[in-house]
Amino acid sequence: MTEPTTGKPAIPQKPSPLSGATRPLPADYQLDPSDRFPLIPQVPQPVRSAKGKAGAKSVPAAEAEKAPQTASTASATDPAPTVASSAPAQSIDLSVTVGSAAPAPVVHSIRSSHSRDHKPLRIAHLYPSLLNVAGDGGNLIAIQRRAQWRGIPVEVVAVEKDETPDFRTFDIVLFHGGQDVEMAVAATDFARKAPSMREAVAEGVVVFAVCAGLQLLGHRYITNAGEVMLGAGILDLETRGGPQRFMQHAACEVTIDGVTEAVVGFENHSGLTELGPGCEAFGRVIAGAGNNGRDGLEGARSGNVFATYLHGPCLPKNPWLTDQLIRLAVGRAEGLRPARVVLAALDDEMEKRAHEVALAKAIANRGKRTALEPARLVRGQKG
Amino acid sequence: MSSLISRRPAGAESSLSLRGTLALAAGKSAGRATRLIGRGGGTAITGMVARKVDPAILEELVRVPGVPVVAISGSNGKTTTARFAAALLRGEGIAVCHNSAGSNLVQGVTSLAVGCASLRGRLPDGIIVAEVDEGALPKVAPETLPRALLVTDLFRDQLDRFGEIYAVADAIESVAAALPADSALVVNADDPMVATLAEKREGRRVTFGLAIKRSTDQITRAADTIRCPHCQSDLKYRYVYLSHMGDYMCPKCGFARPKLDVAVTSLEVVGLDRTLCEIRTPTERLALDIPQSGTHIAYDAAGAVALLVGLGVSLGHAAESLASVGPAFGRLEKIAADGKTVILAFAKNPTSYNTTLRALATEGEPRQLLIAASNTLVDGEDFGWLWDVDFESMAPRVERAVVSGTRADELANRLHYAGVPTDRLKIIEGRPAALTEAFALLPPGSRLVVLSGYTPLIELRNEMRRRRWTGRYWDV
Repeated sequence: MTEPTTGKPAIPQKPSPLSGATRPLPADYQLDPSDRFPLIPQVPQPVRSAKGKAGAKSVPAAEAEKAPQTASTASATDPAPTVASSAPAQSIDLSVTVGSAAPAPVVHSIRSSHSRDHKPLRIAHLYPSLLNVAGDGGNLIAIQRRAQWRGIPVEVVAVEKDETPDFRTFDIVLFHGGQDVEMAVAATDFARKAPSMREAVAEGVVVFAVCAGLQLLGHRYITNAGEVMLGAGILDLETRGGPQRFMQHAACEVTIDGVTEAVVGFENHSGLTELGPGCEAFGRVIAGAGNNGRDGLEGARSGNVFATYLHGPCLPKNPWLTDQLIRLAVGRAEGLRPARVVLAALDDEMEKRAHEVALAKAIANRGKRTALEPARLVRGQKG
Repeated sequence: MSSLISRRPAGAESSLSLRGTLALAAGKSAGRATRLIGRGGGTAITGMVARKVDPAILEELVRVPGVPVVAISGSNGKTTTARFAAALLRGEGIAVCHNSAGSNLVQGVTSLAVGCASLRGRLPDGIIVAEVDEGALPKVAPETLPRALLVTDLFRDQLDRFGEIYAVADAIESVAAALPADSALVVNADDPMVATLAEKREGRRVTFGLAIKRSTDQITRAADTIRCPHCQSDLKYRYVYLSHMGDYMCPKCGFARPKLDVAVTSLEVVGLDRTLCEIRTPTERLALDIPQSGTHIAYDAAGAVALLVGLGVSLGHAAESLASVGPAFGRLEKIAADGKTVILAFAKNPTSYNTTLRALATEGEPRQLLIAASNTLVDGEDFGWLWDVDFESMAPRVERAVVSGTRADELANRLHYAGVPTDRLKIIEGRPAALTEAFALLPPGSRLVVLSGYTPLIELRNEMRRRRWTGRYWDV
């Protein structure tokens, strides 16, 4: 997983507002060195001391508990983080100690200034008690932590059944997977949320959907019994119940803003999804069944809406993808072109290891339909 | 209720076929050989070999009049409930055969029968208490025709094997509904999905649950059935006792927790090794002092008591019988090791993890941790559920964690995101090496908590036995 510091903007989002040019850039979001129109003139990269000046006192309570984590994360790694060279000039709040032997911190300790100046990243967690079985809640933990480790405050709003917030007020919407029964309940309810979701998507709110979330963002889900569950039609796709369940480690190749990375996870679905011309795939299958086990496509994407079948949960072991979502959301929240937002690099030792193991497992299992021989169960009256 | 346990009618000897006799001998020798060469308890191999020789061996052995089989199934609490049931039955003077080592697939249950039978295929007078994996139940039940089926609870577990919880519920439903009317169905009424199992079945049914007037837990992201099994409305809870188990009702369709036949009326959990509870049955009040800790222990004890009620067996010696039932292997099992203490804690799904973590928290544990997860046939492939475990509550206490097993990567990443600093995390995949590492730096007088899934737990425990810290896991 490398930080996409050289990434070129492939799809410019909505134009930066003029005010962006006069406002100082948030210190945590570093400038893209490849950007031809930097807001702050580049200065030579200073060597930074291990500790920033900004006092830990002003760190909000929610992040205070993270502070030792970040510090130890930095110190636990190799003393010369590879990101240091690619990290562009950001000297506003940093103490400069030229020639200091202390390792440069990977994570910036200037979050306090950030927290004062910036409104939190608002995340809507859809149906946390309804769509909750596959550990997808880890996606929320991943976004939360990776934002907080960089000093970006996060506000999470659980959006349950019968609640219809204005989704335009959020920066990220998480829409996870669930079991068939719960999905049917969510489908009925989501019809009421859909108009606001459509407006939010049109305004570039970042959506990350998994499994049932993907299916309900599409036009419809036709069950094996022929019942039709209507979706929001935000993604041009349709799903039909399949004869078998795909249950295995899976991986695909995902391209965002010109950068391509492997994304890994665990698939557990029986629905077969076909994409229409109105959306592209989230990724190309490396291992696993993808949308239907046939066309080599995984998930769906349209603008800032990302939908995948990958559980696992997906984001904790794909830090690159998580950071892309945060970057796009921050860009939108701050009214910046996403290319202008470069997140401070984190030490991703654990994440990388989890990613590599999952990728190896997916590749080793390639060509099979399930990782385990599924239990032979008798279908009874229920369900 | 009349007793379902009767003396074996005279002359009702099993007349084992030649093939069955061969299977019996082959299975017994395979198990003995495994134990002799020190490769395990032979708890699965015995049945596997016997079934290879004679696929009908289990049926032949147990389907003899007077040899009742009791099946205990569900997601969590099978092993402990079965231990309690066995102790209660023995306390009433009934001989019990029991797969105490937790080998609960069809070969494990076959091992149980083969192991208990004489070489001529005669099972001792008494009762067979079989813990049965929820996925294996549809296969085991028709072969054993249980006189009683106890369902402990239903939680998400091994979804990479079952797909959905509903598939597991369906499987148990099909078995429960087919149970003969004079067999007892014993269900945990506090679990909404379990409470609705085979509702339309006419026949013996015994419910158990907690009837204490305070919540002992709250609904978390590990809860599964929190909607009405009938109309899918959100359930209202008067009290939440453990994850989604509690005193609930549906505001829309009126479905509510069924009346309890066996109820825990008071409960006090003391430290890591004691639970005091009072259990009311239709005829008695039992005051129990059990040397294991947790709300789940009260559920397991109530389930075992309800099972005896269902079988029509008296409970005159319940208190003495349960007073000596210590933890099954790896259920907060304390092991003395070179002057230090190891607490072995088995955890396999979000609810069993949370329950264990809550028990450990009462003593400020875990501080020194060895934690393990492996991809195996029994432990599963997908460890996504680790993200539903409340590791966040544990993270501030952890001073050092050695992370082991073939999925140490996922576990370490989970702990990292839960807030355990990475410099306190050390990944050592090999189990013996991890144990050495975890033990080497253990401060004097402190305890090592070992939290692990099934396979790594057995590996770690075998390693401890090799170091002569403890006995064999199948003897606990």
